[in-house]
Amino acid sequence: MSADKEVRYWLEGTELLETPQPDQDLEPWTETRVVGQRRPRVDAYERVSGTARYPSDVVLPGMLYGAILRCPHSHARVRSVDISAATGMPGVHAVLSGFSEPDRALRAHRSLLREQLFNPVCRHEGEVVAAAAADTPYRARDALRAIRVDYEELEFVSDERDALEPGAPPVHEGGNRVGDPQVYERGDLARGFEEADVVLEEEYRTECQLHTPLEPHGCVAEWEGDRLTLWESTQGVYPVRQQVAQALGMRQSRVRVLGEYMGGGFGSKLGAGKYTILAALLAKVTARPVKLFLTREETFLAVGNRPPANMRLRAGAKRDGTLTALEFVATATGGAYPAGGTSALDYLVRNLYLCPNVRTETADLYINAGPARAMRAPGHPQCSWALEQMVDALAEAVGMDPVEFRLRNVPEVSQAGRGRPYTTTGLAECLGRGAEAFGWAEARARAEEGTADPTVRRGVGMAGGMWAAGGGGPPSTVIIKLFSDGAVSLNMGASDIGTGTKTVMAMVAAEELWVDPGEIQIEHADTATTHFASASGGSKTVPTESPAVRAAAVLVKQQLLEMAARQLDVDAATLDLREGRVVSTSGPPREVAVSELTELRRRGFVEGIGFRGPNPRDKEVHPFVAQFCEVEVDLSTGEVEILRFLGAHDSGRVLNRTTYDNQVFGGMTMGIGFGSTEKRVLDRGQSGLLLSRGWHDYRIPTAMDVPANMSTVPVDPGDAEANTTGAKGIGEPATIPTAAAVANAVYHATGVRITETPITPARLVEALAGRERGV
Amino acid sequence: MPASNPDDPRGARGVSRRGFLSSMGVGAVSVALPAPLTAGPLAGADLIEAGDLTPVALNVNERVYRVLVEPRWSLLYTLREELGLTAAKEGCGRGECGACTVLMDGVPRYSCLTLATEAEGSSVTTLEGIMEGEELGPTQQAFAEEDAFQCGYCTPGQIVAAEGLLRVNPHPSPEEIRAGMSGNLCRCGAYAHIFRAVERAAAVGAGRGGAS
Amino acid sequence: MIQSFSYVKAGSLDEAIEHLRAEGARIHAGGTDLLGCLRDDVFEVDRVVSIAGLEPLKGVREVADGTLKIGALTPLAAVAADARVRARYPALAQAAEAVGTPQLRNQGTLGGNVCQKPRCWYYRGPFPCRRKGGERCYAVSGNNEGHAIFGGAGCHIVHPSDTAPVLSALGATAVVAGPGGIRSVPLDDFFVPPRLDPTRETVLEAGEVVSELVLPPPGEGLRSSYRKVRGRRAWDFALAGVALALRVDSSGVVQEAGVVFSGVAPVPWRSRPVERVLTGERLTEDVVRLAGEVAVESAQPLRHNQYKVPLLRGIVERELAALA
Repeated sequence: MSADKEVRYWLEGTELLETPQPDQDLEPWTETRVVGQRRPRVDAYERVSGTARYPSDVVLPGMLYGAILRCPHSHARVRSVDISAATGMPGVHAVLSGFSEPDRALRAHRSLLREQLFNPVCRHEGEVVAAAAADTPYRARDALRAIRVDYEELEFVSDERDALEPGAPPVHEGGNRVGDPQVYERGDLARGFEEADVVLEEEYRTECQLHTPLEPHGCVAEWEGDRLTLWESTQGVYPVRQQVAQALGMRQSRVRVLGEYMGGGFGSKLGAGKYTILAALLAKVTARPVKLFLTREETFLAVGNRPPANMRLRAGAKRDGTLTALEFVATATGGAYPAGGTSALDYLVRNLYLCPNVRTETADLYINAGPARAMRAPGHPQCSWALEQMVDALAEAVGMDPVEFRLRNVPEVSQAGRGRPYTTTGLAECLGRGAEAFGWAEARARAEEGTADPTVRRGVGMAGGMWAAGGGGPPSTVIIKLFSDGAVSLNMGASDIGTGTKTVMAMVAAEELWVDPGEIQIEHADTATTHFASASGGSKTVPTESPAVRAAAVLVKQQLLEMAARQLDVDAATLDLREGRVVSTSGPPREVAVSELTELRRRGFVEGIGFRGPNPRDKEVHPFVAQFCEVEVDLSTGEVEILRFLGAHDSGRVLNRTTYDNQVFGGMTMGIGFGSTEKRVLDRGQSGLLLSRGWHDYRIPTAMDVPANMSTVPVDPGDAEANTTGAKGIGEPATIPTAAAVANAVYHATGVRITETPITPARLVEALAGRERGV
Repeated sequence: MPASNPDDPRGARGVSRRGFLSSMGVGAVSVALPAPLTAGPLAGADLIEAGDLTPVALNVNERVYRVLVEPRWSLLYTLREELGLTAAKEGCGRGECGACTVLMDGVPRYSCLTLATEAEGSSVTTLEGIMEGEELGPTQQAFAEEDAFQCGYCTPGQIVAAEGLLRVNPHPSPEEIRAGMSGNLCRCGAYAHIFRAVERAAAVGAGRGGAS
Repeated sequence: MIQSFSYVKAGSLDEAIEHLRAEGARIHAGGTDLLGCLRDDVFEVDRVVSIAGLEPLKGVREVADGTLKIGALTPLAAVAADARVRARYPALAQAAEAVGTPQLRNQGTLGGNVCQKPRCWYYRGPFPCRRKGGERCYAVSGNNEGHAIFGGAGCHIVHPSDTAPVLSALGATAVVAGPGGIRSVPLDDFFVPPRLDPTRETVLEAGEVVSELVLPPPGEGLRSSYRKVRGRRAWDFALAGVALALRVDSSGVVQEAGVVFSGVAPVPWRSRPVERVLTGERLTEDVVRLAGEVAVESAQPLRHNQYKVPLLRGIVERELAALA
């Protein structure tokens, strides 16, 4: 499977609806009025007033609260579950397990309950064992405490570094390898190393990162007869619907999923979870709506992570800075089930820099831990941590500036993509313009002069990057309606996961229709009333949805112009929209207000249906990035203060500079967490259980951990070939090189290379002390 | 879904059982619970038995709500699930994220680490309470204009924390803003915009003249 | 979601004491630590006795000789903001400000901060560890990156408080009210090391409540500071920290030294070796370096916390230099 394919969260290679008006008819925008401006969100009021209703805010009459009992062992077989004490407790309405005869309402789901939801083999802490619904969440928890479970504890392995040791207990029959190692090769590696003047080799490790969106995973489920409605905190209502319908043996049309607002996902909410199905079954058996949201520690255990990675990188370069060979060998783990532990882990080695001789080998292993889910640019930040530190080391070894070294190795074609050219590549510009805006050379020289306090050192660091996807693609259907008073509504299935999707789409429609984006009514993320969309993720929402929005808006506009042409008796080609009016652009000045169009008033509305067209054949669409930072390190304590961060990004056309900046800053913040503070800790070699069970021991950055001084340099090469809005994704690339840039800055400040995340004061002060002792 | 009829905040203390029961007619929320009522209002050293429901009068956003609560219920749970005031959010339930931040007597604290019974006698302000009718308050306005959020889930807590900061320190320095906002996690990473929003809110005088 | 408990709002300290004598009773002051522990099922509680409404236990008072009495229920934010504390005992203001977050400091009390439960992830997690009455300390063979390098005998927690080391360094006393009346306990004697009893943190007996923390008058030449290093820059407990209270005469000679570490031992860890090195000396570079060395001389790091040795040394040197 190619790295490209692994990280695409949406359908590819399937025949899908294409735009009926082939999108090549739409010329790229030249001048824009709305698109590209800074603009607050169209739903800002809802989000700052507290009126935005998140799935966890939903309160329905008679609603019960669900809770899930989870396996407290790393590996166990459930021998029996006794729910008798729990069922009779006050306020408890239902208790489900795989060891009790299902209520009549659930008999059809007997095998789902016994074999899937409550599978007696628990391969990690946090596997589902039983569930309850009660009139308060407190009482639901009381019920769980009263359930007696007899576990047969089994041997386990909780760290992938131990998974292949002789005698390591197998997570599945057949051992702890998830298939054979994946190997990629091009060129002649041995010759590449022979040609090199400098060959370096280093081992790197990145720790397991947790998504930890602020809103826990969960939903509210309600039945009306054989129809199920779910308010789910999700990145994609359609994938949830499809999975729930499949699990429950229902027609998809009988399941309605709503997710207008949702409190963050970062890849962990791309589909339904067992909690979704359990909420539906608890609602079914109690004939009441059920709210089931996970506790924070449940989300740490069971709904995904960025897998830890162990990477060995060997690299060769010539004196002039030309890369000649890269060899990358890595192991990683997606946890207890096949979950893409090594997904795209080698992508940057294969594709970011020009290098004719490359070999990568990645092995995905099982351990007894919660399965991975896609997390913001799967594989990439891990790979970047290794590659970008190595590239810096090579640059130093040949005596070159790190930016200059990278500029020497910028490819024009996608080496991993069978040599296909990019629609555009802004990598060189990201490096060059980013360095200029950052004041790279000056800051580097200044840092090397030192500070007034001899125990405090400054350093600057940078890293480049790209994202294996980010061009988006079909399917997407968007409907725009314009009513007789000129009012506009936009209907799309896509979720706005906080990235500003609604705002950006309103701006795209407003660009074509000359209306205020804030006036556009947006219906979205509801499978009953809005159109099919894939989940929002993978930096593909804007490049996927915005061309469909533009196509729909243009269709509406064309109809308006044709109506006006008939009314004014002129050629439609001479007309255009201007602020709610149709006006002539040539010939005698004629105009009519949209609301005065007779035909529109008679019909009541016009609509345009936009479909996302296909991506260009034989070309690759990717976003590129270079990030730069400056740090101050206290040598006596190992504390690192990040003083500023700059992101230079080629994500094609910037549609809203405000939300774009926000995405970049957010990506950097998450990257700072990845590189500096975050680490899931399991009790390796002892119980295997999760030790970092909350945000005290799993430290995501606070306001004090990120610099106020963050800035962006948009590099927009005008990607007319990518799609009709010229936009590529930004969410993923914004977090890819951040951690490596920090590591490079810390090295610049201290001369110490930290090759394992996170760079905590603990790790750094120990490394500094080790250097002092000469070890 | 308000639990019961709001009335004069001066009635917050010394609720009689008779007074409480007379307001139950509209209280669809708590009546379904089968546990017995305790004999009298919560005062002095009366012990409330585990699992019992006890009446408390909560002064929230300058209205008094009389509700039945179990001793273990958090203020957050009571606000959200019993009073229908859902702006304050649950992210962790144990004081590790700040999404549940409310003002108690004008001071920010975590409503998930506050028992509902403990809030009796204090004035509680949630995000809903810093609105001016349907208009945004100046701190909210600043958050909207600076795009100081992404998914928006932590935002009610962030804004209430900012409001609390500005009430005691109307002109915070950039460092004071960072420290003052350090009790509210934002996983989307909108901190840089949050700092600007707090600066903007301070510039327009948010926090001054605020209630309590 | 926490288990059921009975609850009482104490109307007086006497009432609180009476209720706290009951089996399974726990005190609720600010509630931040108690509710967190209940939320995580660290221990069970039958009765929560709230003293949060006891006004006499709140606020900072000065008595005639300059002694400062801080009510145990004074919120940490109020301790940090108190002008007398800031002027005379800057270390205490710094420590109070280093706790948690603005919200936790508004809610959490000084007494609660001193009496809080450890943050060891085995203790807080689903492990029947020795501190919870179990058989073993899981940190010994498990992941002990956050654990003690001093004084870990059968239990290797670190004491989580920032204010307690400062109070100890300043020679403070806890006033304890209980069924038998009132007693004063110097902070140095307040904490129970695991070698004496790994299941308790303090000397408080059933029914006892800390009502007040008493700071002796600062006297001439007191210089104090508190500094901790943490895994992230806010909302975090100490990886290691140091509270310093030095009485320095006009010629710069240290007459008296109180040096207490946080984050490295099961109790606030008074470092007699550093105190001895400093006493009678000026804070020259050599003395500071020697203090750093002796600070960690007897450290016994575990497998994953060796970093605490250079870290503690670095903090001690840095903070002494800053006070010089």
